[in-house]
Amino acid sequence: MIAPSVILSRVKALPTLSGAALRLSELARDQRSSAADFERVIRPDPALTANLLRVANSAYFGLRNRVESVKQAVTVLGLTRVSEVAAAAAFAPVIPARLPGYDIEASAFWLHSVAVAVLSERLAVELKMPRPDLTFTAGLLHDIGKLAIGTFVSQESVEILGRVRGGLAFASAEREVLGVDHAEVGALVADAWRLPAAMGAVARWHHAPDDVPEGVDRPLVDLVHAADGLAHALGLGADVGELARQIAPGTEARLGIRARRLERVAGASLDAIREMAGLFAPRGDSR
Amino acid sequence: MSTLTVDISDFKVSAKADDLIVTYALGSCIAVIVHDPVRVVGGMIHYMLPLSETSPEKAKIRPAMFADTGIPLLFQTMYQLGCQKKDLIVKVAGGGALYDDKGLFSIGKRNYTVLRKMFWKSNVLIRAEDVGGAKSRTTRLQVGSGLCTVTSQGEETEL
Repeated sequence: MIAPSVILSRVKALPTLSGAALRLSELARDQRSSAADFERVIRPDPALTANLLRVANSAYFGLRNRVESVKQAVTVLGLTRVSEVAAAAAFAPVIPARLPGYDIEASAFWLHSVAVAVLSERLAVELKMPRPDLTFTAGLLHDIGKLAIGTFVSQESVEILGRVRGGLAFASAEREVLGVDHAEVGALVADAWRLPAAMGAVARWHHAPDDVPEGVDRPLVDLVHAADGLAHALGLGADVGELARQIAPGTEARLGIRARRLERVAGASLDAIREMAGLFAPRGDSR
Repeated sequence: MSTLTVDISDFKVSAKADDLIVTYALGSCIAVIVHDPVRVVGGMIHYMLPLSETSPEKAKIRPAMFADTGIPLLFQTMYQLGCQKKDLIVKVAGGGALYDDKGLFSIGKRNYTVLRKMFWKSNVLIRAEDVGGAKSRTTRLQVGSGLCTVTSQGEETEL
């Protein structure tokens, strides 16, 4: 068992997301925001400006005309998209070269994060759900808890993997051995990063969508839970927990998705996942 | 020696004896590994989904995404290199599943069922296989020797 204070100090020691990305995600949720507000946040940040133009002109969006200014990018992509691109650009550099405990390298963790972001969004479209706000970004950041508790998982990996081989889901094994799992820690990271509450809730409940308390955006949690399972099933960023997970019966029922449609989403998303993942390389500095 | 990596929804064929063909992180996806010891040719596909009818347009661009369009392509490519069906040694790995799968996410099982039907219809025998279970696999084929291995949960075994 790890003392909560030890986990908190680890969470606080994590590098944080860039302020501009966070400001944009706040602006994207505020209906009074205008394109001009976005430009004011983006322009002073040369790296974000460059990333935004690069992404706007990439195959991922497949635009006909070349986007050459921040203003144009915001107009063409829309405010939500711009805030998603900013989140992706901000998240990639904080991923360490290798996540201890999960036996996964930065590039695979990044691929998995992007896969869950894209699959969550495409599932929402396939199911004709009103697209919950922040679907892409919530999917992208669902595993942030792993950045903070990897070292503890690594120290107890024999115990945890023993339980996984015995049939326990990886997150449940974490909880049994450490007293906490990466989902619960993910909510602490979301708080420390001052992410919107909905994203913290997705990080917190993405392995237990049947248990979400009142007031949490359950459809969003369901989408990310299903997308996470699908990404792992397809081998998009396999980590040591691999396929040791269950799909919550409630999620299947609530989403009402059929296998064929799931396969269609998987087939239609693969290229987009690769394109988006290739746009930002995780820095992978060995911390 | 070169290492040829087979991405998801891709296949590779080589007639160079010192080549190694490898594919990583097979979850519910399946790798079909084919070796011709007579012509010394090796091939591997890493397909993701059972049937192209779910996305016919996608199948035109990426036939190796689906069992029904990808596997025939792998065999035809080997035949073009002079391989004969009677000499081919066929092995299969992957088709894993999540825990307690009630069917929705059993892409691995459907991937395997379609493969068995196709092989049954065209009289292809599977020499060895390592399929199913909640695990991810990496497979390697040495083109020269035909040595085929599966690595899963830190252990490498010969297939």
